[in-house]
Amino acid sequence: MRKKLLSTVGAAAIAVSLAACSAGASDAPDAGAEASDGLTLAEVQESGELVVGTEGTYRPFSYHEGGSGALTGYDIEVVTAVAEKLGVEVTFEETQWDAIFAGLQSGRFDIIANQVSINDEREAAYTMSDPYTVSPGVLIVADSNTEIASFDDLSGFSSAQSLTSNWYEVAVGYGATVEAVEGWAQAAELLTQGRVDATVNDELTFLDFEKTEGDTGLKIVDETDDASLNAFALPKGSDDLAAAINEALAELRADGTLAAISESYFGSDVSE
Amino acid sequence: MDWELFWVSLWPIVRGGLVGTIPLSIASFAIGLVIALLVALARISGIRVLSGIARFYVSVIRGTPLLVQLFVIFYWLPSLGLLIDPWPSAVIAFSLNVGGYAAEVIRAAILSVPKGQWEAGHTIGMSRTTTLRRIILPQAARVSVPPLSNTFISLVKDTSLASLILVTELFREAQKIAAFSQEFVMIYMEAALVYWVFSLVLSTAQSRIEKRLDRYVAH
Repeated sequence: MRKKLLSTVGAAAIAVSLAACSAGASDAPDAGAEASDGLTLAEVQESGELVVGTEGTYRPFSYHEGGSGALTGYDIEVVTAVAEKLGVEVTFEETQWDAIFAGLQSGRFDIIANQVSINDEREAAYTMSDPYTVSPGVLIVADSNTEIASFDDLSGFSSAQSLTSNWYEVAVGYGATVEAVEGWAQAAELLTQGRVDATVNDELTFLDFEKTEGDTGLKIVDETDDASLNAFALPKGSDDLAAAINEALAELRADGTLAAISESYFGSDVSE
Repeated sequence: MDWELFWVSLWPIVRGGLVGTIPLSIASFAIGLVIALLVALARISGIRVLSGIARFYVSVIRGTPLLVQLFVIFYWLPSLGLLIDPWPSAVIAFSLNVGGYAAEVIRAAILSVPKGQWEAGHTIGMSRTTTLRRIILPQAARVSVPPLSNTFISLVKDTSLASLILVTELFREAQKIAAFSQEFVMIYMEAALVYWVFSLVLSTAQSRIEKRLDRYVAH
């Protein structure tokens, strides 16, 4: 999935191209950075903390209670439980989506907990953990829209997407004209105002939106076949740490912790 | 307008300005001015290597986006083994940026002082450095206050980019509240209002400094 551009559109384009540059650089075999060597469980345990990169503005996954209160959310609770299993403290570093991968590559964080969906590009550039969220993508239009009933109808219509999200590619793939936005909230706003015809996002985001807004004037008309699998992203080569995290996730799944966290945010178990 | 949300979010946003935006702006501006003065002097020094380096620096700073400058210092330097914390990184990036812009302001201000002033200093036996310090810079300072105030006010708003390198400031607080409440337009307008109030205070300071520096001028 995901998401979000900078507050300024111009800045966004630069950040995107920079992210692309740095991703390219780390793919090169001789990229000299230590950051590309990967992390081990021993290194994290030695430092005593797991440094987590997250947005802090992506409800209900990573956000501040009441807007300026404590950091909380589904991803925050899951990664905190994982760190507990690893026997380390958890430290959160908050930044915007477009800077998150740069932060991971430069060793600013050990892990990203921000609903990073697994795709080929990311699997090539990072070590991905096992997924802890499973959610289909949905096509959302205004209630009054009768022209778009499925993804196949999307061709020739406009869709609001953030450029770094994988939903962007879904929308483009079905022939939509994409309007660049910062994230879900803007997309929903444009859709409500009738300035775009549709938006593609994950189902959880929309369900949360409906839960808080009540009558949104928007509806889901179609669902992707493949659910998006969202996981933690680690620096490339962190197989040892990823194995430990996967083991922790498996334990949390077995003892019902993941299901409980999920129930508290979504009213259903989205962790598998 | 959701006035309740407006009032509830006002303090967090203002606080973000007081603990983030303002100190970051002041520190960066102060260091930036020192850099700018050195660069301006290098450019008018007549020493080709010095003025060449200064010219290159100004060209890079003015010719590349501030966002990239922040990214280079925070996200790229670590690959050279230089891991700088968020706050110092932000101060370095903003200082260098201010240095590039303000150098041109200061250079122009120095050049705007009539050549006769240099000659006058020389005539009464002052060295070049003393003339610069006692005669030229005070006059140049007065000329450069309005454009430097512009640079400063721009800087205050540019610091909103610091959230990309993990610095929590005014705009980041606004983003957090907007993301929580989904009230993007209202909260961003509120943040803009706070920036504006800050700018009004700064403009007042500007006119005071202008008045003070006017004492160097014979009316």
